Amino acid sequence: MRHGFRMSVGAHADGVGKLNAAFAGLAETHALPDAVRRSVNVALDELLANKLSHGMADRDAGSAKVEVQVQLDEERLTVTITDDGPGFDPFGQAEPDTTLSVEEREIGGLGIHLVRKLMDEVSYERRDGKNVVVLVKQLVVAEEKNLREES
Amino acid sequence: MQIATRTNNDIHIVAITGSMDSGTSPEAQKALDGVLASARKVVLDFSGLDYISSAGLRVLLGVAKKLKGSGGTLRMFGLNQSVKEVFEISGFATILSVYPSEAEALAAM
Repeated sequence: MRHGFRMSVGAHADGVGKLNAAFAGLAETHALPDAVRRSVNVALDELLANKLSHGMADRDAGSAKVEVQVQLDEERLTVTITDDGPGFDPFGQAEPDTTLSVEEREIGGLGIHLVRKLMDEVSYERRDGKNVVVLVKQLVVAEEKNLREES
Repeated sequence: MQIATRTNNDIHIVAITGSMDSGTSPEAQKALDGVLASARKVVLDFSGLDYISSAGLRVLLGVAKKLKGSGGTLRMFGLNQSVKEVFEISGFATILSVYPSEAEALAAM
């Protein structure tokens, strides 16, 4: 059984707020584990904030739209984020150095690093003049899955 | 997001409830800047913090840098598993001082 929603949001703070509210509703209805919900909340925030700084910032609020689709089945949560801004692969950037001290630290690149680590699968493609980012978070941890398959 | 500040002698304890993301971090930044105007010893109470993204980490990094520059102290406690995970992935777990409880954070000031 598949559940979920699709919505078009402005790539700014209000848009993120609406999206978070819709996602919170889905998480509550389907009793998503807090760890999954929080990881997806962080990933959504990073990718939409990233949109603001890469290519959509020069557009007015009305035209800077990002389409977000969230799909939930028994095994995984899949988030698809599509926009028609200039081609930009968020996962094609250099990884930040996370071993530097407080004084040396800069925050650039950290958001996408978090998305990579918090999600189980991430992908980007340029399709029909659009940026398409897909994130997958498994709901069933590998060990449980193995046990279930064995039984 | 809600921010509540209380003091214990010269220690300012700032409780941040809700999320620290791109939408709420400007407000957190403003509130913490206000605290830093007079405080040198700051404890962040994260027991009500649901999740934190890089926008929130940026705010924390700024606070840590300012306090380090002024000879102040920054401690934090009450991180849930998800916030801890973000701290670990980002390397913040090693550059910020995190304690399991308020008592331990205060004892380390």
